[in-house]
Amino acid sequence: MEINYQELGFRCGLEVHQQLHGKKLFCSCPTLNSDKNPDVHVERKLRAVAGETGDVDIAAEFEMSKDRKFIYESSYEDTCLVEYDEEPPHELNKQAIGTAIKVALLINAEIVDEIQIMRKTVVDGSNVSGFQRTALVAMNGFVETSMGKVSIQTICLEEEAAQKIEEGNDFVRYKLDRLGIPLIELATSADIKSPEHAKEVAGQIGMILRSVEGVKRGLGTIRQDVNISVNEGTRTEIKGFQDLKSIPKVIEYEVKRQLEAIKQGKQLKKEVRKAEPDFTTSFLRPLPGAARLYPETDVLPVRIGTAHIEELRKELPKLLTEKIDECAKKYNITKEIAKDLVGNGDFEYLKQKFRNKDVWVIIRALTNTPKEIRQKLGIEDFEEVLDYYYDGKIAKEAIMDLLEKKSLGEKIKISDFEAVSEEQLEKEIKKIINEKPGLNASAYMGLVMAKYRGKVDGKKVMELVGRLIK
Amino acid sequence: MIPEYGDAVRIHTKEQIYEGIMLPRPEIFDENYTIIKLENGYNIGVENNKITKIEVIKKYEKKKEIKHRIGHKEGLPTVPILSFGGTISSRVDYKTGGVYAGYTAEDFIAMLPELEDIANLKAEKVMSIMSEDMAPEDWQSMARRIARDLNDDEVSGVVVTQGTDTLHFSTAAMSFFLKHLNKPVVFTAAQRSIDRGSSDAFLNLLCAVHAASEFDGASVVTCMHGTSDDNYCILNRGTKVRKMHTSRRDAFRPINELPLAKVFENGNVEILNSNYSKKNDAKVIVDDKFEHKTALLYVYPGMNSEVLDYYLKKKYKGIVIAATGLGHVSTMSPKHSLVKKLKELIDDNVVIVIAPQTLYGRVHPYVYSPLRKLSIELNCIFAEDMLPETAYVKLGWVLGHTDEFTEVKEKMLTNYAGEISERSDENSFLY
Repeated sequence: MEINYQELGFRCGLEVHQQLHGKKLFCSCPTLNSDKNPDVHVERKLRAVAGETGDVDIAAEFEMSKDRKFIYESSYEDTCLVEYDEEPPHELNKQAIGTAIKVALLINAEIVDEIQIMRKTVVDGSNVSGFQRTALVAMNGFVETSMGKVSIQTICLEEEAAQKIEEGNDFVRYKLDRLGIPLIELATSADIKSPEHAKEVAGQIGMILRSVEGVKRGLGTIRQDVNISVNEGTRTEIKGFQDLKSIPKVIEYEVKRQLEAIKQGKQLKKEVRKAEPDFTTSFLRPLPGAARLYPETDVLPVRIGTAHIEELRKELPKLLTEKIDECAKKYNITKEIAKDLVGNGDFEYLKQKFRNKDVWVIIRALTNTPKEIRQKLGIEDFEEVLDYYYDGKIAKEAIMDLLEKKSLGEKIKISDFEAVSEEQLEKEIKKIINEKPGLNASAYMGLVMAKYRGKVDGKKVMELVGRLIK
Repeated sequence: MIPEYGDAVRIHTKEQIYEGIMLPRPEIFDENYTIIKLENGYNIGVENNKITKIEVIKKYEKKKEIKHRIGHKEGLPTVPILSFGGTISSRVDYKTGGVYAGYTAEDFIAMLPELEDIANLKAEKVMSIMSEDMAPEDWQSMARRIARDLNDDEVSGVVVTQGTDTLHFSTAAMSFFLKHLNKPVVFTAAQRSIDRGSSDAFLNLLCAVHAASEFDGASVVTCMHGTSDDNYCILNRGTKVRKMHTSRRDAFRPINELPLAKVFENGNVEILNSNYSKKNDAKVIVDDKFEHKTALLYVYPGMNSEVLDYYLKKKYKGIVIAATGLGHVSTMSPKHSLVKKLKELIDDNVVIVIAPQTLYGRVHPYVYSPLRKLSIELNCIFAEDMLPETAYVKLGWVLGHTDEFTEVKEKMLTNYAGEISERSDENSFLY
């Protein structure tokens, strides 16, 4: 049955969280996903405490009632005493502020005059301190979508939480490498019209974020939370989407769940729910209220001068969508291929490295490589192979073969691929014509290519054969 | 209506309208920004010269405080909690920006309901002071207040809270001031403020109340985290403990001996070092005479000996020198030797006590000839393995009673409160 979302009083907003590169938000630890064996092990407990307004927050109380022990593990290389809540936070990371302001400018938001760092009470253990540091950087921006403007109410800079790795009856184990990585959080108002629209908005925001330098890419570096309600229902927040594609389905199922509950006369509660792989959702915890935020007194507020904003405005990048359009037009290629090229920094890097060289070789190398091979190759592999080609060590035809060998981790003997000089090639073609006179051009071509496949340029052979049989 | 802190307001600037609660700005910041708490909970600063108008939407109404009422449970020990300020007993009132005053037993119990099952608490805020501002006269009033509770037959032990920075000075002072100590005096504090769920105050306070109820020692002790984990606290003797880290929970370490005990959240007390006096029925006498003209001086390479002129001129009675290594100060350098000035001080009846700058280990008066110069020629008192801070408090206390050199020396080397270890325990280093 088709659902009429308008009639249902469908209200939906998004929160997008994007990790940043560089140092952590309040210390000088690197932002890397560590696979080292942990060498630090700390056990803690948390308690619900009264917030700024004196009320103990309901979500906080809920977590405390579980009376659990939190086990934190990490490696010396990615955490320091700040993550362990054994040292006060350092200054707010300036680079991260700059990145957040750039994002804010790209969505036409108003940047606040003075950033106040806040503590958001979190008692599930994912923040060792018992709170997440967060700061409102800008307000009232918007993105354009196929269904009109969607307003982005807040742009915040906050600390990433620790990663849960195990949960038992009375304990939760967390890894701390992720804790404190800078996150930009964008929250839309409830302007989203339909489940499909939610996906579009999420995609649009993701694209804008990835347009800015200093933003992490790849699995787990961006996350979406969706807030949904319908008439007579109540607000639920859904976390943990596998990918953008799953958003519409999960929203649709959640709307149906709320409708069903209303029909049965059940009392719906404000809660946080988790998106499951089968698109249904499951209860995580009650939705926290506004008592969660109180000032972080260990860090000074940060003033954002107009001059600084103007400086950052000059450094604003082009949006990815613009870059894709430009690239497609410039090389007369499809948007699909252009997206592939612009999507990561590899093309830009190689183009810079081999400027004044034939750019098409790079485009082909990047876009013709099958996905399975491409995934196993680093930028340095492309760089090495293209280096051989531009130095005249190998023929164009050898590029793919070499890349494939690289992806398999095979050792490369460059002499096997060495390009044959024109002189030598001409000599060889003459020899073949003398040995087997009277054949047509394509037959000679076949014979030559059989001998030199991967080492000579086919076009060159064709041209030489054509000239020599006359 | 003039907007006041706590009011719900609407702030107009040329570009924006902000709605929220107007908050006070901490005093040390300039006043060019107005802080407002938005409906979503975030605070932001709005530049004052951009503001065109502030409307008051709703005046601030003071919330009625609901105080937890303490019941009395038969059979539980009585434990007073005396608060002398510091992180553990302060809370910021965000409406006024000031520090929440009258911290009472009710507040402690509201924070930690399980305290009610351990002991019948009596809490009193004696003073509200940052520990770096504490001075010997505060130790004197502290001792008198604690003694009053110790001499109450109902009381099984006393918990004292204060700031961490000079906690180990206070415990040393109480160790000397409380004569004929009969019960445990348990000092606890917090390295993390209690407005965060991860505060160390919770475990520290729980264990301190347990220790005041269960520990069988008649000693002044600190009760703070044993490790970075929220597993147990350690009881360290008040004369043998030092804050060894600016910010860690387990900053308070025993120096030159093992902790007396571990105390767990469930009330278990595990004795690690039984070298302490046991609880008894004596009546505590406050012996808090203190010579204020006592100093603690840290020597360092290149120190100008003229620094000592100040103490001479100001008629100081005693100086503890935190000396290098086994107890050295410069004696041979023509430019930096302290010998001449020390001689002047000693000739003027100023007592010089040598304590280890290394904190760990014992000073020695004879190993090197410069040491002999200090000990034999100049009559400096080598304070064994006493911490410089403890030696300072003790010297002030001893000089409060006598300024006769032989007597001062004899008292300085008499072990009153475990401040000198006779044996240097192998496994106490960096515990």
